[in-house]
Amino acid sequence: MSRRNVVRLIRFCVALLVLAIFLFPIYWLVITAFKQESEWFTTPPVFWPSKFTLSNFLGTGSTTFGTTTTSIAGIVPFLRNSVVVATTTSIVSTIIAAFAAYSIARTKIGGTGLAGWFISMRFLPPIASAIPLYVIFSKISLLNTWWALILPYLVPTTALSIWLLISFFNEIPQEIEEAAYIDGASRTQAFLQVVLPLSAPGLAAAAILAFIQSWGEFLLALVLTSNASAQTLPVYLGRYITGWRVAWGPLSAAGLVTMLPVIVFALITQRYLIRGLTLGAVK
Amino acid sequence: MVLPAIVLFLVMTVYPFAYMIYNSFTNLDLSKSGTGQFVGLRNYTDIVRDQLALSSIEFTALMVLIAVPVEMILGLALSYLIRGLFAEKALRSLFLIPMMVPAAVGGFGWKMLFNFIFGPINYFLNLIGLQSIEWFGKINTARTAVMIVEIWQWTPFVFLILYAALQALPKDILDAGKVDGADGWRLFLHIELPLLRPILYVTLLLRIIDVLRTFDSVYMTTYGGPGSATSTWSFYAYKVTVSYGWNIGYGSALCVILVIVSGILINTLTRVLNIGRELGLSKE
Repeated sequence: MSRRNVVRLIRFCVALLVLAIFLFPIYWLVITAFKQESEWFTTPPVFWPSKFTLSNFLGTGSTTFGTTTTSIAGIVPFLRNSVVVATTTSIVSTIIAAFAAYSIARTKIGGTGLAGWFISMRFLPPIASAIPLYVIFSKISLLNTWWALILPYLVPTTALSIWLLISFFNEIPQEIEEAAYIDGASRTQAFLQVVLPLSAPGLAAAAILAFIQSWGEFLLALVLTSNASAQTLPVYLGRYITGWRVAWGPLSAAGLVTMLPVIVFALITQRYLIRGLTLGAVK
Repeated sequence: MVLPAIVLFLVMTVYPFAYMIYNSFTNLDLSKSGTGQFVGLRNYTDIVRDQLALSSIEFTALMVLIAVPVEMILGLALSYLIRGLFAEKALRSLFLIPMMVPAAVGGFGWKMLFNFIFGPINYFLNLIGLQSIEWFGKINTARTAVMIVEIWQWTPFVFLILYAALQALPKDILDAGKVDGADGWRLFLHIELPLLRPILYVTLLLRIIDVLRTFDSVYMTTYGGPGSATSTWSFYAYKVTVSYGWNIGYGSALCVILVIVSGILINTLTRVLNIGRELGLSKE
């Protein structure tokens, strides 16, 4: 083997080692979700469960830890809330963003100023929305509802989608639309029948990104909701964590349920995710 | 057609922020009736005398000064490590996973790892002959632990940007450098690094803006402890207001300052990114 290849082999091994370190927390969470109760707390730690069990998910395990945290059978309403909130946010934000992005791309309305203002909405600290919204929502009795989450989630998701979609619409040649006008289509018709189908991948990417952002959001959900009728999965996870000795198995199971859809979606839409997260710094 | 977006941002951002600024000049306290009177700048002057607030701001600043540079260096090193390797695309995708995990889930995972008795980290430390560390028990170790969680989650983000930027470096300039005899460090220091500078700057800004809002990982691991050693700016504002303090006036003042600091950075970012040209809205 030449020296070059040896160096590359060593680099590859180092890369694998670093990767193992970075993925270890996730590995730990996943195996803990399938550990039976006797293997949650052991010294030395159990790195490979002797028996994989689903009791942490289904609640068929023993109950030494009391009734609240021995399983995540109670997760269903939280899962429902997460699905409703993330899906609604995703759809509504994509629609609002598509309209805004299309007019900005075609008419340059508002110029750099407006686009910059829109995009900056993506970066504002959530605590600064959470506190005033808590007071406002408590006055109009909106606290602890799905809308209390959907409305604030629309802000960063729409902002990010506008950015993504402007560059998508820019890539669709205007000649195609002009051809539609010549054929007698109105502006709305051209948008609905020509531009929308062409930008379907972009719209899908924006929708998935919005879904991911709202699915994992924690702070606003923590502040603006208070029980199972509106709380989402990350809050479900956070609620049980502050105790002295929390049941690792069920909580890991909850963690797994919370992160799985996001990771799957994120890996599918990697390219757009990257473009969105880095604001076009990476194409 | 931009109207729905404008209305959304006016109602959900501008209005709450204006309301927050107004609140920051009052003594509004949700646990006491009859509050909400105008108190001038008192909330702002109180911050300077509040040890807990100062310590939270200090820890947030420490994260910017320590965690962010570590992320930048590790991310850059990783992008060089992976470049040109066998299966680099697959490696890249796998390295992205930590940043995709919802921060609350990642925080819980690390809370288990850092456990004093049952956690794998202390187990590994013992294996190589080191003492177990009471991670969340002491100020410095708790601060280190929170930073480790942040670094774990966001190094992949830095890596991702820089890896893509490396791929996009103009080949002819690199080749010219090689012809002139530059290799390894010299090539990196004198050719690649200067070419990467704009993107490094953008990455740094993105990371600082994000670190300023650190909340989830603290909530899930140390809950700001021990004492208030790992309380961040956001976490402290959360505690004095909607957690149990209910002092909306004071918390609002904390948030107003945070928004101003973030706003300056966001503004710098949008200018550096040159939004107008990027989106084809202006020629310059």
